[in-house]
Amino acid sequence: MSTHTQAPAAIALSKAAAEKKYPAKMPRHGNAGAYRRIVIGLLALAVLAPVGLIVYQSFLTAAFFSPRAKFGFDAYQYVFTDKNFYRALGTTAIFSFGMVAISVPLGGLLAFLITRTDIKGKRLLEILVLVPMFISSIVLAFGYTVSVGPTGFVSLFIRGLVGFVPWNIYSLPGMILIAGLSHVPHVYLYVSAAMRNLPSDLEEAARTTGASIWQVSRDVTLPMVLPALIFAAALNILLGFETFGIPLVLGDPNGIMVLTTYIYKLTTLFGTPTYQLMAVVAVVLILITLPLVWMQRKLLRNARKYAAMGGKGARVATLKLGTSGQVIALSIIGFWLFVSVALPIGGIAVRAFVDAWGEGVNLLDQLTFTNFDRMLEVPSLVRGIVNTVLLSVVGGAAAVAIYLMVGLAGHRNWGLSNTVLDYIVLLPRALPGLVVGLAFFWVFLFVPLLTPLRPTLVSLFVAYLVVGLSYGLRLLQGTLIQVAPELEESARTTGATIGRTWKDVVIPIIRPGLAGAWALIMIIFLREYATGVYLMGAGTEVIGSLMVSLLQTGAMNTIAALSLISIVLTGAGLALALRLGAKIHD
Amino acid sequence: MNKHVSGRSMAFAVTTAIMTTFAAQAFAQEAPAGYPDGYADLIAAAKKEGTVSIYTSTDAAQSQRLQDAFTKKYGVSIAYNDLGTNGAYNQVISEAAAGQTTADVVWSSAMDLQMTLVQDGYASEYASPEIANLPAWANYKDTLYATTVEPIGVIYNTKALSEDKLPKTYADMIAFLKDNKAELQGKVATFDPEKSGSGFLHHSNDARNRSDFWDLAKAMGDDGAKIYSSSGGMKETVVSGENVIAINIIGSYALDWVKESPNLGVHFATDYTPAFSRLALITKDAPHPNAAKLFVDFMLSKEGQSLLAEGGLPSVREDVTAGLNVKTLNERVGGGLKPIAVDEGVLEYMDQMKRVQFLNDWKAALGR
Repeated sequence: MSTHTQAPAAIALSKAAAEKKYPAKMPRHGNAGAYRRIVIGLLALAVLAPVGLIVYQSFLTAAFFSPRAKFGFDAYQYVFTDKNFYRALGTTAIFSFGMVAISVPLGGLLAFLITRTDIKGKRLLEILVLVPMFISSIVLAFGYTVSVGPTGFVSLFIRGLVGFVPWNIYSLPGMILIAGLSHVPHVYLYVSAAMRNLPSDLEEAARTTGASIWQVSRDVTLPMVLPALIFAAALNILLGFETFGIPLVLGDPNGIMVLTTYIYKLTTLFGTPTYQLMAVVAVVLILITLPLVWMQRKLLRNARKYAAMGGKGARVATLKLGTSGQVIALSIIGFWLFVSVALPIGGIAVRAFVDAWGEGVNLLDQLTFTNFDRMLEVPSLVRGIVNTVLLSVVGGAAAVAIYLMVGLAGHRNWGLSNTVLDYIVLLPRALPGLVVGLAFFWVFLFVPLLTPLRPTLVSLFVAYLVVGLSYGLRLLQGTLIQVAPELEESARTTGATIGRTWKDVVIPIIRPGLAGAWALIMIIFLREYATGVYLMGAGTEVIGSLMVSLLQTGAMNTIAALSLISIVLTGAGLALALRLGAKIHD
Repeated sequence: MNKHVSGRSMAFAVTTAIMTTFAAQAFAQEAPAGYPDGYADLIAAAKKEGTVSIYTSTDAAQSQRLQDAFTKKYGVSIAYNDLGTNGAYNQVISEAAAGQTTADVVWSSAMDLQMTLVQDGYASEYASPEIANLPAWANYKDTLYATTVEPIGVIYNTKALSEDKLPKTYADMIAFLKDNKAELQGKVATFDPEKSGSGFLHHSNDARNRSDFWDLAKAMGDDGAKIYSSSGGMKETVVSGENVIAINIIGSYALDWVKESPNLGVHFATDYTPAFSRLALITKDAPHPNAAKLFVDFMLSKEGQSLLAEGGLPSVREDVTAGLNVKTLNERVGGGLKPIAVDEGVLEYMDQMKRVQFLNDWKAALGR
């Protein structure tokens, strides 16, 4: 049990002392250095090819393949003297930080309640709290307009009661609230993954000595999951910079512009797409991520501090909430679920089965299945559903395997390659999916050996793999980091190779984490929309990107039907994953 | 020749022969009436190519009947890529630069981008046998063809506005927006020309043809108009009552919507109703050039045009009786139909300086 009692003590230890006690470096000999370098090198290639292309494009005066393209800083000059750019940048910053201020505390709280306490209905809650993630933000925002927009059915009901609608979702605070609430699951997944693996004896000890639930969560649990919270906060800031759907649907009609909608405008602003300007904004986004990564590395330098999963005794006993505790906790979760799940999904569900809604429209008169009937008549939409399932389930599993390979390559690796890894992982997440997708489209078009793959789902898979990298890899790393080094050390001491240690010690311990990661990646792939816009073609349609192209004509009936299907699919996928033994809680 | 043909390849050869014969019988071989003599050869060559790749901004649902009928008639399958206007343009120029052209036909409502593709040499010339049946403005140098004529109009919420209150002419609309400022405040919707290519086309075409366009823009701005990037998105808000009126939307969609949606009315100015067209071109290095020609001809034929018109995209041919055609549409909108001609005029605002100026004027008029 030594591991457990030492974990909090280790936090108090100075870095030097900790390193003396637990040498951070595994012996260089037989540390699979070649494997690490090859895997990380390949990953770097996959990430840096599109990113490099974007950087290169930003220094040109026209599309990189155009004969008119010359080297120059014109694009930078345009963007940096455009007052709309600064306005968008400022709005984006407020939006991102506001979002984090809502999602991180709420997500952390939810994770604590669900993983560390005996809250009722855990199994159901586990699934329900993830639901906002299932929906691409475009559809989520759309769902809110149907339920709580100016003439949404909930708004009209409230107006009937109090005489006016006390909120306005078409405003910056409205957008922040919606984005913040919808990003709670991202935080929850991260933090709960870390909390699930914490042994409970520390919390129990604190409880025995008279600490309240809140004291326990603040003084015992919180410090131990701090890295997960920091990861989650950093990622959410990036996500805030990258969010497209919510600002597009809710901000745009009133002229609230963020960087992604600014980029989007650049595709039409000059008639023909101005790739160099889009690239400049993308480069700005890349530059914003770098300090975030640096900060994160600094905070997490001594990974040993957080090793809490020992060889034995990782059994988790739950904290007793008591009756009043249960009521309060369930009310908080219930209200959040109502706002962030019932309202948008209710909106979408209603929209999927009606042709019209709003003031003076009796929804019952409008009830219809034609939205689905019409959708099923169009082969490309049906294909889109099949492809999405394939890409999420099979592609998701393949992605987890690849992330695991990369995760192991970076596991207890203090070499230069690991620094490289830390920096490249977050790059693609910082870029709008639209831009990443466009860059990959070009990579698959212009790199000779890759051209045959372009019209296949492989090109989409590679792009999705890179876009999902930060989530998937960090999730696996978060789990890997909690495997106490002495377990690996003892295996190595008794003569196991590093490969064998990974196979027989590390992987079995983190197996529940792998299944959870698969479920997560599946969700990420299912809801992805912007990345596929340029990559998909006849035969490789995916639901999310179909919705984006349908949005251009505004075929809302089909969009609503598609999004409901995608929600149902994801729900089914997650239920299946849980049943198959992906013990998300336990 | 090798006498020992293996059983399997023999069987394959036989199956292929049977299938080919079957296909040949199943689908009429003769050229449609009035087509040139050599047309049967074109059909045969297209069948041999087997497929045609279309890059388009038209939702598959709207053209599904056309696609199905084409494949049924000629046995040529369609790879239908709904990429949006910008997506289609981007893919075409990227593929051409990489020497990997996959698009055979580009069919897009962005008249300016289509014309740009033609001017920049991405299209190939093809004189369709259907030319004689098209209005002169619908054919640009045998390269770019108008396949639809879609009026630009107004939708409104019938609960908030009755039809008799609606302004009859373009000038009346400006006065109407000014006179009802209080009731309409924050409830007027229109296209965002910065984000939507269609929106830009609609507004800039008005600016080209109407000296009072800027008065309209100013009036919309004074009403606190909100801007959207799609007609469907605006319809959603007008039906729900969030907006009362939406200006410069795609009227052909609206004509279909009002049949099913409650609370929704469609309206056109009697003196001036511009109409845009979805334009089709065949790419320069089309991998399936014959199938591409066959498809364009079919799309322009009476049969193809009827199928499009049934799907809510009015025909450019006067002899089409299904749905609306260019003539009946003109009657429907009150006689002021002004199709945007397929010529270099649509490029006027592709000039960067003019474009930026237009957008700045627009933003100023809207008070943004």
